[in-house]
Amino acid sequence: MSYLELESVAKSYGAIEAVRNFNLSVEKGEFVSLLGPSGCGKTTTLRMIAGFEQPDHGLVRLAGEDITAVPPHQRGMGMVFQAYALFPNMTAWGNVAFGLRVSKSSQEVIEGRTEELLELVGLQDAGGKYPAELSGGQQQRVALARALAIEPKVLLLDEPLSALDAVVRVSLRQEIRRIQTQLGITTVYVTHDQEEALSISDRVVVMRQAEIEQIGTPIEIYTSPRTHFVATFIGTTTQFKGLLEDRTNGCVRFEDQRITVSPDLPSEFQNGDRVVVFVRPEAIEVARPGENVEGENQLTARLEAVTLLGPVIRLSLKHGEFGLLADVNTNERSRFNRGEEVLISFPAEACRVLKEDES
Amino acid sequence: MKQRNLLGPASIVLFLVYMFLPILATYVFSIAVRWDRSILPEGLTLDWYRTAFQDRWFLIVFRHSITISAASVLVSTLLVVPTAYWVHLRLPRARPLLNLITTLPFAIPAVVLALGLIKLYGQGPLQLARTPPMLVLAYVIFTLPFMYRPVASSLEAIDIRRLTEASQSLGASWVRTLVEVIFPNILPGILSGGLLVFATIFGEFTLATLLVGARYKTFPMQLVYYTRRDGRIASAYSVISFTVAWATSLIILWITTWGTRRSSGRRSPVGRAGGGAPAGGKA
Amino acid sequence: MSLRRKTDRTRKPSTAWWNWLPIIPFLVITLGIMVLPLAFMLEGSFQSKEGFFTLENYLSMTAPVYTQSFRNSILLSGITAILGTILGTTVGYFVYRLRSSRARELVVTLCDVTSNFSGAPLAFAFIVILGSNGVVTLALSNYLGWKIYPTFSIYSFWGLVLAYTYFQLPLMVLLVLPAVAGLKQEWREAALSLGADARSYWRYIGLPILAPAILANLLLLFANAFGAYATAYTLTGSRFNLVTLQLGSLLTGEVLRDPGAGDAMGILTLLLMGMTILLYQLASRRARRWRE
Repeated sequence: MSYLELESVAKSYGAIEAVRNFNLSVEKGEFVSLLGPSGCGKTTTLRMIAGFEQPDHGLVRLAGEDITAVPPHQRGMGMVFQAYALFPNMTAWGNVAFGLRVSKSSQEVIEGRTEELLELVGLQDAGGKYPAELSGGQQQRVALARALAIEPKVLLLDEPLSALDAVVRVSLRQEIRRIQTQLGITTVYVTHDQEEALSISDRVVVMRQAEIEQIGTPIEIYTSPRTHFVATFIGTTTQFKGLLEDRTNGCVRFEDQRITVSPDLPSEFQNGDRVVVFVRPEAIEVARPGENVEGENQLTARLEAVTLLGPVIRLSLKHGEFGLLADVNTNERSRFNRGEEVLISFPAEACRVLKEDES
Repeated sequence: MKQRNLLGPASIVLFLVYMFLPILATYVFSIAVRWDRSILPEGLTLDWYRTAFQDRWFLIVFRHSITISAASVLVSTLLVVPTAYWVHLRLPRARPLLNLITTLPFAIPAVVLALGLIKLYGQGPLQLARTPPMLVLAYVIFTLPFMYRPVASSLEAIDIRRLTEASQSLGASWVRTLVEVIFPNILPGILSGGLLVFATIFGEFTLATLLVGARYKTFPMQLVYYTRRDGRIASAYSVISFTVAWATSLIILWITTWGTRRSSGRRSPVGRAGGGAPAGGKA
Repeated sequence: MSLRRKTDRTRKPSTAWWNWLPIIPFLVITLGIMVLPLAFMLEGSFQSKEGFFTLENYLSMTAPVYTQSFRNSILLSGITAILGTILGTTVGYFVYRLRSSRARELVVTLCDVTSNFSGAPLAFAFIVILGSNGVVTLALSNYLGWKIYPTFSIYSFWGLVLAYTYFQLPLMVLLVLPAVAGLKQEWREAALSLGADARSYWRYIGLPILAPAILANLLLLFANAFGAYATAYTLTGSRFNLVTLQLGSLLTGEVLRDPGAGDAMGILTLLLMGMTILLYQLASRRARRWRE
């Protein structure tokens, strides 16, 4: 039995279904992210865990106990909001101490714990400042400390970093993860930023249109997307659309070529199916003509554009009218010039085969 | 849970009853044959309106009130709009002074203003203080906040400095800029300010009665006169006075919604409350 | 053109003295119609009938007739401001919580319209419903057997309270709505998630954040009622002793008293109003600070 469980939870607003048949089990101490485009139902799900929304259907269980009907202020879940939501009439200290004060903790506990938490988020000197005097990043640290002060059973974060600028975003997300690991607190984190979700979570729940698309560890989500949506929403891919010729040996017909994929595809595939082969750009190797290449699949292509992304450069390639993307190490940039003919290759195990999307 | 759900609607309904009972009662009273012996009026009639209209004073006081209100709006517009424009464009240093001057009337009750004016201008054979032109000027001061606020906030909303510069950089002359660029943008502000001034003055009793009194009777003065003589005619006057006021305020509301929708694309449900809110003093 | 160039060379053109010329008409009129009359009033308040400096006028303010008028005015304005604030804030809060935005806009429009219903028409309407033969008076006595006269009278202090509250209420609703709308939903949710119930939320967060705005509006309502004349005049003539009614009867010559005392009374009124408006400005500045 898991610590936090959602069992066939559903919620609609009038005719609009926000969440449909949502099932999730979160282990104690686990960090789970809900990832998806805006309007996919991830925030509604989080708010149902917090108790701000009542599910129309289904159960929310905490440590085996049904808490669906428990009002939010008795659930003991710390929440961090997108827009900080610090109380403007209280100092940072007052904000952090608030939860302890309303729970009638002793003065010693309040003071000790508030100090401790401000220190944990690195704001021990800013306790006397009002929210308006703090930067966005500092405000969100206070909000985090405030949510943690009540020793919540579950920590809920609703896009906590999306209002911050890029540099603060990266450093704060690492800090959230550090604190979460240190305290071992069960955490549900909502974000629309795939990089964020992949980098800090134990598991990621990808949602689309009120439903779960896939649940898995970040690496599973990235390397083995189970649906067309997950494959395209997370990261960048090249999609080869073709016909499955041989399920057992792993052979897909793509235009006038044959693509070799991993053999023994699952039984839901049948020879003759229309399928899509997804290949990540970093899996594609690019060689200049005459150079030796490895990998089962080889194609010639013309280099259309070179874009510097930082550690890698992205090559936009054309095989006939078909566009592909490949990433190579930035220090190899001098090898590639626009307009050149190149040879690309990728191994069979880098191919992710899915049936062509019905939707 | 259920209790709380009822509390809100209940208090709103009570509030609305309190707000509408007096108004409704006045409307009904004005068409009731008699309504002082029974719960329901004893029949309906338009006699009181007929009596009111047939009285030669009706047209006189109505004309007086319209004249005074319109003249005040005109003077106020001519005085406030160019001043506000100039200060926002070229004299930002004077803005705090203007803000102060246009807030002061809130702190000056009409009675005190009348007392001061009579003290200063009431001497001598001319009796300047007790003339309609002086009443107009007093109204201009009295309604200064209502005129200045909407105009100033529409000037602030459009950043006239940059608009003027942009227009001039495209080769428009100073006059053309004013007429074709600035004026259309602040027109909603001017209109709602002007209408608010109009509505306020049309129903204003205190300054009118204390400054000019019987020398130049206005509509509210006649209304107060009838409340003591004939309640049924007074109710007809009340209805007319209130109808003018609410029609004006509906137009203002319509203009401000239209204005904000046009200039910022969004619509605030509590839009006007900030701007011309402290509509006090005239009670 | 040459003039223009010269200013550009000197300093900021906006500070040049001729830039003040276009606003001179405005300044002259405010000076002549607002500042000078009040200044003369101030001077007059320190002048004896013979034209010498004196404090006599202010000392005469301690006479019962004047202290009573100030006491009545302050009580009437204070009570109706407090009533207006409490009821108006409550109604404003519920209006804000209304689900449908159309209903919300409708109530706002109604407030806007009814806030115009003041002065003589308002006073008359209250006579119609609560005068000695008013419809509510009759209804209460016929259906409930409750004869409110002569205990209550619309022409008395509590009658005035009822009529004044009428014009204070919609004003307060209009004033308080932006403040209530400034309370973020997340504050409430954050408080709930931290274990606070609705009451603790209001006690520690909602009301403290609203407090400066509510205080500012209370002060504004006080000033609004203190300066009011027409409603009280229509209801009570000059019989009831209020500051504005006293000053009014002084002006219309219904009573003959020395003008110095009138000036002193006017100046004291201005002081009281000025202080109220000043405090209002301070409180609303504070209210704005939290709204960002």
